[in-house]
Amino acid sequence: MIRRRAHPLWLAYLWLFFGFILAPIAIVTIVAFQAPGFVAFPIEGFSFKWFEKALTYKPFLDSLVTSFQIACLSTLLALLLGTPAALALARRESRWADAIVTVLLSPLSVPLIVVGFALLFYLSRAGLGTSFIGLLLAHTLVGLPYIVRTVIAVYRTIGREMEEAGRMLGATRWQILRHVTLPLIRPGLIGGGLLAFLISIDNLPVSYFFSSVSTVTLPVVMLSYIESSFDPSIAALSVIQLAIALAGLLVIERVWGVRMLSQSI
Amino acid sequence: MPALAFLAALFFAALIDNGARSLVPPGGAPWFAYYQQLATDPFYLRALFETVALAFVTTLVCLIIGYPVAFYLVRHARAGRTLIIFLLISPLLTSIIMRTFGWRAIFARRGLLNASLQYLGLIERPLDILNSSASALIGMVHVLVPFMVLSIAAVLEKIDPRIEEAAEMLGASRLQTISRITFPLSLDGVASGAILVFMLAMGSFVTLLFLGGGSLQTFPLLIYQQFNTTRDFGMAATMSNVLMVLAALLMFIQLRLIRRSGVT
Repeated sequence: MIRRRAHPLWLAYLWLFFGFILAPIAIVTIVAFQAPGFVAFPIEGFSFKWFEKALTYKPFLDSLVTSFQIACLSTLLALLLGTPAALALARRESRWADAIVTVLLSPLSVPLIVVGFALLFYLSRAGLGTSFIGLLLAHTLVGLPYIVRTVIAVYRTIGREMEEAGRMLGATRWQILRHVTLPLIRPGLIGGGLLAFLISIDNLPVSYFFSSVSTVTLPVVMLSYIESSFDPSIAALSVIQLAIALAGLLVIERVWGVRMLSQSI
Repeated sequence: MPALAFLAALFFAALIDNGARSLVPPGGAPWFAYYQQLATDPFYLRALFETVALAFVTTLVCLIIGYPVAFYLVRHARAGRTLIIFLLISPLLTSIIMRTFGWRAIFARRGLLNASLQYLGLIERPLDILNSSASALIGMVHVLVPFMVLSIAAVLEKIDPRIEEAAEMLGASRLQTISRITFPLSLDGVASGAILVFMLAMGSFVTLLFLGGGSLQTFPLLIYQQFNTTRDFGMAATMSNVLMVLAALLMFIQLRLIRRSGVT
């Protein structure tokens, strides 16, 4: 297909659009390096002190540890729950299989604030209200559909031949899973897992409801911090988070290609 | 299947539990009392209206500004393609707090926008842009427009460009081709993007909390506030349930669309 040269207006529009998309992110990055303790333009002075403050402010650090634990564990749990389901369903072509996939993906369609609110009261009855376990279960629930979706997508692109060859060579079901299927779907596991991890790390609407002294995550602490003060340490912290997320995105791109990612979001 | 059991025990049970809480108020009040209040109290009716209206306007704006980007991405971008997708996705991975903070820094009284306008001599006194429904809308569109672009692009990609070429050979102008041929063919993508954005817009509260400044009272915002301050859990459960039902409705429409276009 011959791609025509775009009219200059297209390009102007595209610049404008990405200017809009990137503006707040760029501004936060600039503000993070400013000297004054309040956000006002024009900016006066340059400083690293907000990074220092962000990295030494204890509530940030403590909650970062919690966030990290929750994100790692919930991603792992979601992988353990989601992968077998995805493998079992990806190649079935029946109404039932379709229906089950729909059910497994349905948490994506319900607003997270509703999920968080409903789960808190539900888990409270089981004595898991604002506990670490409760928060972990909630995050696992949020991450699960992303894993299911990406693993199904990847598994469907792989032919049956490899697994059949393994079977003919006398491998047991477990050996086929361990040595054939899992290595083949690894991009899906990594991509879906990273997505679930990043979504968990950034999750606010669900984490908010489960916050207590021992279970408060970084976004919740940041939320309550900017409710009271508007100093650049939040900006500095955001820049650090962005750097981590971009590193993750680069990893996905390397392993998988960014186009796959655009299909999974 | 453990995943299904997990969802049933946690997700569906919690939603049903929530529904039950909204139906039966404690202390012997009649069933549906919360819903009665919701349907008769002008405050809640207005909030419901604002929830739906904001989601609707956000979706519309996302569609209008997102469609050309998707079109460019699919029909024109070559080497820039990966970069465009990267630029579209990377904001999705920044925290919602960061983006809200950024918009506040731009819109504040001494923010970037006011400072620039004053520097250019276009305004004398700073404008109050922050904490209005306009700043809330801008924040919402910013968060959600990438979803719209990606949904539309996915469908545009499947349209054979030769159809467009044929139209142009038959004498249609570029604009006619896009409006009469490409756009109608891409309606599936438009619909799925619109449903996705509407769904996400309906449930978001962080953007509204920090950019709307109380100019808009939507259900998610009220759930947050009632949980936080007034502790009216029954009413919050009722609003959650209404949002849930709306979401289920949208999901149903989405499924019908997917069936029709044969993509599962």
